[in-house]
Amino acid sequence: MKQYYGMSRSGNLAEAIQGLHSPQFIMLLSNDIQFEEHVAALEKAFPGVPSIGCIGMCYLTDVVEHGVGVIAYSDGVTAAANVLENVSTMPVKYIKRLEQDIQAVGGSSRDTVCIDFCAGNDACVLTTIHTVLQRRGISLVGGTGDQSKVSANGRVYPDAVAYGVVRNQTGRVKTYKENIYHQLGNYRFIASDTDRANYILGALNGKPAKQVYKDILHVTDEEILTRTFQNPFGKINGDDTCIISIKDVQGNALACFRQVNDSDVLILLELGDYQAITRNTIKQICQDFPRRSAIFSINCLFRYKLFSEHNYMQTYLRDMAALGCHAGFVGYGEHYNNRFVNQSMTCVVFE
Amino acid sequence: MLFGKKRREPAQVREEKSLYPVLHVAGSLQEYQKELVKKEVASLWELNMVGRAFAGVVKEADQFQTKLQDLGLSFANINQTAEQFNQVRGAVAQTVTEAQSQMEELGQTSMQVQQSFNEMSETFSQLQAAVREIQQCMGKIVSIADQTNILAINASIEAARAGEAGKSFAVVAAQVKELAREIKELAGEVDTGINDVESSSSQLSSRILTSQETLGQNTDILAQADESFHRITEAAEGAVSVQTEIAGVIQVSQQELQTLRQFFDRIKDQYQEVVVHIDTASRMGTTKSAMFEDMENMIAQIPPLVKDLERDI
Repeated sequence: MKQYYGMSRSGNLAEAIQGLHSPQFIMLLSNDIQFEEHVAALEKAFPGVPSIGCIGMCYLTDVVEHGVGVIAYSDGVTAAANVLENVSTMPVKYIKRLEQDIQAVGGSSRDTVCIDFCAGNDACVLTTIHTVLQRRGISLVGGTGDQSKVSANGRVYPDAVAYGVVRNQTGRVKTYKENIYHQLGNYRFIASDTDRANYILGALNGKPAKQVYKDILHVTDEEILTRTFQNPFGKINGDDTCIISIKDVQGNALACFRQVNDSDVLILLELGDYQAITRNTIKQICQDFPRRSAIFSINCLFRYKLFSEHNYMQTYLRDMAALGCHAGFVGYGEHYNNRFVNQSMTCVVFE
Repeated sequence: MLFGKKRREPAQVREEKSLYPVLHVAGSLQEYQKELVKKEVASLWELNMVGRAFAGVVKEADQFQTKLQDLGLSFANINQTAEQFNQVRGAVAQTVTEAQSQMEELGQTSMQVQQSFNEMSETFSQLQAAVREIQQCMGKIVSIADQTNILAINASIEAARAGEAGKSFAVVAAQVKELAREIKELAGEVDTGINDVESSSSQLSSRILTSQETLGQNTDILAQADESFHRITEAAEGAVSVQTEIAGVIQVSQQELQTLRQFFDRIKDQYQEVVVHIDTASRMGTTKSAMFEDMENMIAQIPPLVKDLERDI
C-alpha cells in the first residue's frame, strides 16, 4: 500500500490533492471556515471513495494550522467509512453500520485498523465502538476534531463520529500509544464528586480536587491551567495510564478535558525525558516493522504546544518522517482502542 | 363471542406496547450501577488504607531487619574485639618467650662466670700455697744468712787471731758477712713483696667471694623472673580462654540472630506476597472503574434510544 500526503497552507484543496490518484481511503483535515466546501469538493474529485474528515491541523514535517491537508491510502487497501450519529446521546443507535462495514472489509486484528474522527462525548463513543471492534480484536486510533462536526463520504455530520475501517492488503498493522509523562511522587487518589457530563473532578481522596493539586504543586489557581503541561493527572487502568488534562478551575473542583468517574484511581504525572521517549517509540516501530508503508499519527494539541514551546516540534516531526511515510493531525484528544486520553500520541503503522 | 371476556382498554394496550419498562430497567440498572460505584469507591478507599497500613508494616519490618543487621554487626565487632585478646596474648607470649630466651642466655653466662670464679678461686688457693712455700723458703734463707753471718763473725775472730796470716781470710769473712747481710736484706724485701701479694690475694679472694654471692643472688632473681614469666603466660592463656568463651557466646547469639533474621526473611516474603495481592486487587479495582465507565456509557444510551423508538411507534 501507499500513503499520500498533500496540503495547502492557503486552504486550496485542489493544491492539496493535485498528486493524488486512485485513492482507496481519504482523510481530510480542514479548517473551520472551509470545512463544508472542502468536504464537497473532495467528494466531487473522488466520488464514492471512502473518506472521513474533521476540522484540525495536519502535519508531515510541518504543522499546517489553518489550511487543508489530505492523507490518503492506495495500492493495496480495502476500506469502508461511515458515521455514528447522535454521539452526545446514543451513538449505539447506528452501531449496525460499523458491524456491516467491518463485515464488508473482512479484515482481522492482524491487518485491519479503525481510524476515527470524533465530534464529542468521546469516551461514550469509544465504549460503543469497542463493543464491536473487540469481538474481532481490531484496534482503533483516532482523535477529536474541532467545532463538533465531522464528515464521512462527502457529507458533514454534526454530533457524530466518522470512522474508517482500513485493511492493509500488503501486510500487518499495529497501533501505538506514547506517554511522555511518568508518576510524580507516590500520590494515589480515588476520584469522587465527579460530574461525568461536564468532565468535572470534585474530590480526590475526599478532599477538594483543586486544593489537593495546589497543595502538592504549590501553585495558584491561575497557574493550574498552564501547569497541566508539566503535571496532568493520570487515570490508572490496570497496567495502563491514561492522561487527563486540566481545562479549568470551577470553584473547588477541576474541569478536565476528559470525563472522570467516581471510583477512578488517579495519579499525578510529571513530564519525563520526552526526547528519549519519542526516540524509543521510533526505535520500537523500526523493530516491529523493518518495512513500513505508512504511519498515521494523532498528536494532542497540548503536546504540540509543549513541543513548540521547547522548540522540539520540528525535530520531532523530522525524526518521525525518518520512519518513511508519516503524516497525521493535531487532535483535541486522542483515541486508543476504548481509551480516550489527553496529551498523548497515538498512531497506526502499516507494513 | 365476547361473553366472559373483558375488552382491553386502549390505555392498557398503549401501556403494554410502551417501552417504559425498558426505561425502568435502564433506570434501575443506572441506580444499581451508581450504588456499585459508591461501594467501589469505599472498597478502593479501604484497599488504599490497607495498602498504606501494610506499607507501614513492611517499613517497620524493614527497619526491624536493619536493626537486626546492626545487632549482627555489633556481635561481629565484639567478636573482632575479643579476637584482639588473642593477638595481645600472642604478643605477650612472644615477648615472654624472647625474655625467657634472653634470661636463659644470661643464666648460662652467669654459670660460665661462676665457673671462672671457681677456677680463679682455686688458682688463688694454689697461689697462696706457693706464697706460703716461698715464705717458708725465705725463712730458711734468712736463717742460713744468719748462720752465715755468725760463721763470718767467727771467721773474722779466727782471722784476727791468726794475725797477718789471717788478714786475707778476714777480708773473705767480711765479704761473706756482707753477703749474708745483703741476702737477709733481699729476703726481707722479698718477704715484704710476698706479704703484699698475700694481702692483695686475700682482698681479691674476698671480692671474688662477694661477686660469687652476688652472682648467686642474680641467679635466684633470674629464677624468680622466669617464674613470673610463666605466671604471665598462664594469665595470658587465661585471657584467651575468656575470649574463646566470649566467641562461643557470640557464635550462639549469632546463630539465634540468624534464625531470627531467617524468620523475618520468611515474614518479609509473606509481606511481599500480601503487597503483591494488594497491588493486584488495586489494579483490578482500576480496571473495574474503566468497566464501570463502559457500563455507564452504554446504559446512558438506553433512555434516549427508547425515547427515540417511542417517537417512531
